[in-house]
Amino acid sequence: MSVALIALSILWFGLIAYAVLGGADFGAGIWNLFAVGPQAKRQTQLINKALGPVWEANHVWLIFLIVGLFSVFPSAFAILSIALFIPLTIALIGIVMRGSAFIFRTYAIDTTAPTTTWWSRVFSTASLATPFFLGAAAAAVASGKIDITNGNVQADPGTAWTTPFALTIGAMAISLCASLAAVYLSVEAHNDHDETLAEMYRLRALIAGAITAVLGALGLLLSQSEAPILWQGLLTRALPVVIATMLIGLATAAALFYRRYSLARILIILETAFLLGSWGLSQYPYIIPPHVTIENAANDPNVIVILLISIGIGMVLILPALYYLFSVFKLPTPAPGVEKKEEHTASEVSQEKSS
Amino acid sequence: MPDLLAARAQMGTSLAFHIIFSALGVGLPLLLCIAEGLALFRNDKTWMMLARRWARAAAILFAIGAVSGTILSFELGLLWPTYIKFAGAVVGLPFALEGFAFFLEAIFLGLYLYGWDRLSPRAHWLCSFPIWISGLASAWFIVSANSWMNTPAGFVIKNGKVVDINPIQAMLNPSTPYETIHMILACYVATGFGVAAVYAFGMLRGKRDDYYRKGLMLAMAMGVIAIPLQIISGDANARFLVDAQPAKLAAMEGVFKTEQGAPLEIGGLADPSTGKVIYALEIPRGLSILATFNPNSTIKGLDAFAPADRPNPLPVHTSFDGMVVSGFFALFIALLFWFLYFLKKRTVPTNRLLLLGIVLSGPLSFLAIELGWMVTEFGRQPWVIYGYLRTKDAVTTAPWLNISFLIFTLIYVLLAVALTRLLLGVARSPLPKVEMPGTSQQPEKAGV
Repeated sequence: MSVALIALSILWFGLIAYAVLGGADFGAGIWNLFAVGPQAKRQTQLINKALGPVWEANHVWLIFLIVGLFSVFPSAFAILSIALFIPLTIALIGIVMRGSAFIFRTYAIDTTAPTTTWWSRVFSTASLATPFFLGAAAAAVASGKIDITNGNVQADPGTAWTTPFALTIGAMAISLCASLAAVYLSVEAHNDHDETLAEMYRLRALIAGAITAVLGALGLLLSQSEAPILWQGLLTRALPVVIATMLIGLATAAALFYRRYSLARILIILETAFLLGSWGLSQYPYIIPPHVTIENAANDPNVIVILLISIGIGMVLILPALYYLFSVFKLPTPAPGVEKKEEHTASEVSQEKSS
Repeated sequence: MPDLLAARAQMGTSLAFHIIFSALGVGLPLLLCIAEGLALFRNDKTWMMLARRWARAAAILFAIGAVSGTILSFELGLLWPTYIKFAGAVVGLPFALEGFAFFLEAIFLGLYLYGWDRLSPRAHWLCSFPIWISGLASAWFIVSANSWMNTPAGFVIKNGKVVDINPIQAMLNPSTPYETIHMILACYVATGFGVAAVYAFGMLRGKRDDYYRKGLMLAMAMGVIAIPLQIISGDANARFLVDAQPAKLAAMEGVFKTEQGAPLEIGGLADPSTGKVIYALEIPRGLSILATFNPNSTIKGLDAFAPADRPNPLPVHTSFDGMVVSGFFALFIALLFWFLYFLKKRTVPTNRLLLLGIVLSGPLSFLAIELGWMVTEFGRQPWVIYGYLRTKDAVTTAPWLNISFLIFTLIYVLLAVALTRLLLGVARSPLPKVEMPGTSQQPEKAGV
């Protein structure tokens, strides 16, 4: 196994981490759009409480991906940057707007001011748009339609990222983010003993999950003609993973149906990991089919080895810290340094924050 | 606007915006750590109130820093694909390490900002250490990548291909010690004087209580330690350029002609069309003395370089002088503050002129950072990787760069306005109520 392949596998792990953590942050922003009516305030509080401590750390997985990609596969990164200039720029604007809008609305002194409402809408809209364009860009890569003639690449005005396949995958990215977030939010609401909200997000998770499944099936069908390399891979090398993805999807739905919230959370994380895994496996050995392979885009192996060592050292520092962060705010396991107090409810926490 | 100019303008605007938040991201966590430490060990409510208030501002500032930093990491590819293909291969390591440092910072920031009521006071305070340490490390790594652009190292070009890459050598290139120290100190200077300016402004408006005095004191302490070191470091930087980047030094000092016993041109406009620095105060042999300690030494002028390899001295010289003036002003204010402080038997001076000077030194210290970056970036032109890749050859072929520049500029304006409003709101909101563990009804918990 070449060092480039090891590095790519680690990057893929980063991609999965970004999808299940950052993707859920996008999803929470999408559900913020639906936070209307009598339950609106409680929903917003739940979303703020869920995102607050973790969204910045979740977001760093994207930086990890970008930096990893240009260090390990510099030429592939350059090609993607040119070819996907438009969807990536739009996604970047979305990332920036949702991050800052979240802060502007959460830290607003007057939560009912029109500007706060406006920022809240910006947060939702950007959360909706970003995964769409990221998904469409990913589909453009997988479809093999990025035109590289004689090593020259042009910005793609939309021939690769606005195909029916790319649009379907973009939409699927939205519904996947939404279902991830709905599952997490139902766990958080359940842990806060707010069963009304837990029920609400459980139902939403089921609906979003069903939409993801339909769009996934549609994407699979379209890939036959629009992303032939992907289709080939999905039916051969990646077939067991594809089947596992479908089964885990069904299991997630069952867990939700029987209100096994924590189990559903684990299953939907697995589901996302298998989904992205099947994509990676099926387009192996290409990074950008059908021209750019792991082999011909990889940096000098010695450089990759040094990068792998530093990634290893970095992970030794990051992973325990990340586990600590999540055990303080998200997991039921006891963590050192945590003061044993009575459980906070969503409204208490937000009151403290606004004081 | 031509594509190259649009791309440079967008990159420059993005850096100018982000750098403010990066500087605060390095400096503010250290202030937080010290203030909370003092609060815990002296059982002092005022320090705790300061830490709480700064944490609230930090939460907002760091989030904007994180998103504006994301813009930059994308722009490296979106605007400069040829550059990142080269730089990514050679100097990806510090970028990756910076990513990890940023990761740690974000994780502990989440614990710190949202953990006030979840974590024990001591565990909470301990969470502030990884934040400022990784902030410091981030600055070091990312500036080492910029240093590499100034003095590229750790690779060989054979038949037009980059080979024999040594990422460690690239990271530890000749400029690294000079640039990284200068930038890290700049972060502490700017944060120190920036925070001090806020409290000095409050005192000018008649607020003289313990809260304002302590806030001012700690911030000025940071400033006064950092600013003399910064001036020494700046001097070392300039002298390093004599051999490493003579064209940049020539542009900084407005030296058009190679000269023995070169004069020092203070102020004025370095006009490239006439080859003269007009309206400048000239100190004969000053530059030769400053740069080499030898009044007769020869300093390379811009004429030693082919016209296509010369940076434009006008912005470089003016930015350089502006930076130096801001730095010395901050030094003067800091010394005056502490002189009066000890003269008045350890009471915070409340002289109106001094307070006004402190208010001014805050924005000037941030201006110095901006100008310093203009010196190093404009001074490296026309190269993006000095001697290897020209800026014009690094720009993307993607269309609509004008539109992209326009959109991002609008975003920055919008963010700046919203952020200013929000921070003013935070500053005006009532101070947080603080209960110290020692003053509560459980005295045995104080030692926990």
